Amino acid sequence: MRMTTRGLLAVALVAVTTAFAIAPPARAGDLLLTAAKPDRLYVIDTATRSVRSEFRIPNAGAHITTIVPSPDGKVAYVLVNRMESISGINLKTGREVFRADLSVPGERVKDFCAFTITPDGKELIVYELPTKLLPNEYRVEEPRFAVFRTNAGLKAKSIRAYSAPRRLHLMLMRPSGKSFYAIGVDLYEYDVASGKLLNTRGIQKWDLVAHSQPDLLAFWPVTEPTGVFTSPVISDATAGGITAMKTGLMSLDVVSGALDFADFEDTSALIFSTVLAPDRKFAYGVYSTLTKIDIEHHSLAQRVPLDHTFYSVNIATDGHEIYMGGAMCDVAFYDPQTLQKRANLKLPGCGDQSLASLRVIPAR
Amino acid sequence: MSELKPTNKKAELLLKSAAEGQVDEVVAMDSVAGCATTFDPGWEVDAFGGVASLCQPMEADLYGCSDPCWWPAQVPDTLNTYPNWTDGKPSAQNDWRELDAVFPKK
Repeated sequence: MRMTTRGLLAVALVAVTTAFAIAPPARAGDLLLTAAKPDRLYVIDTATRSVRSEFRIPNAGAHITTIVPSPDGKVAYVLVNRMESISGINLKTGREVFRADLSVPGERVKDFCAFTITPDGKELIVYELPTKLLPNEYRVEEPRFAVFRTNAGLKAKSIRAYSAPRRLHLMLMRPSGKSFYAIGVDLYEYDVASGKLLNTRGIQKWDLVAHSQPDLLAFWPVTEPTGVFTSPVISDATAGGITAMKTGLMSLDVVSGALDFADFEDTSALIFSTVLAPDRKFAYGVYSTLTKIDIEHHSLAQRVPLDHTFYSVNIATDGHEIYMGGAMCDVAFYDPQTLQKRANLKLPGCGDQSLASLRVIPAR
Repeated sequence: MSELKPTNKKAELLLKSAAEGQVDEVVAMDSVAGCATTFDPGWEVDAFGGVASLCQPMEADLYGCSDPCWWPAQVPDTLNTYPNWTDGKPSAQNDWRELDAVFPKK
């Protein structure tokens, strides 16, 4: 039986926030979205570095991954239930206002982290991986993009579907709303209305001279605040007869469509996610260290150790603070200039964020 | 490829397909029908063959591996096979003592 969604508690004053002496004064700030096991969605006020709202997502299956906010910032769409359902949670009331359960009797459908929303907020496009559960075998079906109307309520069914490639992990809508990017083995662009494949550019099949086939872990659909998605990318590069494992930065501008790969260091300490600062001079990446990347000079600018591994990173809309989440139950706040820790917020109950996205909703 | 020795049926199939130029038919089936969406080397070894570059502590990475079924041989997959493995244990850091070993059903 589905539980009724409800806001549990406004815990702004209860959350345990450790503010350091170097912390700047609070200012009107963005909202930060994250989620944690087993079924919690958190809205964090970055001005006070505290939890503004804690919501329970119905039938989350102790499994929460991708978070996609609506363009107006009023609803968070969250992939839950072992990648088989998308739940839309109203960020003021905590009520579930949208639900698409992808699986049907006899067919199990997973969405491996990838879905996106049109700029008008009216349609979700979801990557579906169906498997027929037959009496004596599992039969793998062809993957597809399924489109749902966001006003379809709690029993949403797809209104159209079109074929998709295998091995996708991320989808990013372009601001025009006419097409979206799908990232997996390669970078694909699809027409929203027709589902037509518009173009394919190489990731695994990139054409970088003297570089091996690359590897990247593109799970976190962050394009805020610049409209540029970035990700660490790792490959073997050969120069002067010497081959070394290099870490570079993949940059995809969803506005212009520009795609760039640039090595910045020998592979050492960055795997998971990165975010581009609003001045576009630096990018920041997390793993067990916080890495600052000089975009202009393609070089490592600075690196500091973290208290533990973080999966996801984001940055304030005005660039004044770095946010880190994912993995455990900490949301950390760091200075982008010095990479010093300003504060650490432990989520109530200390559930692991695991692969949950860390998304910024700009102050309005 | 000739330096690698297959140790299971899938690897044997991959070797055979490589010889026939049909590798894509083997490696492209990541539909999460059973599990793995990747073929990374393993839970306990980093990209340099050591452990220094693994997640710290390992509990930080535990549910991030079980949730997407990333290391299905080493970490119970909560995506399909052991969906209730973390029930009542939302924090790997605090609840790791309660996490049980799992055994395939016969």
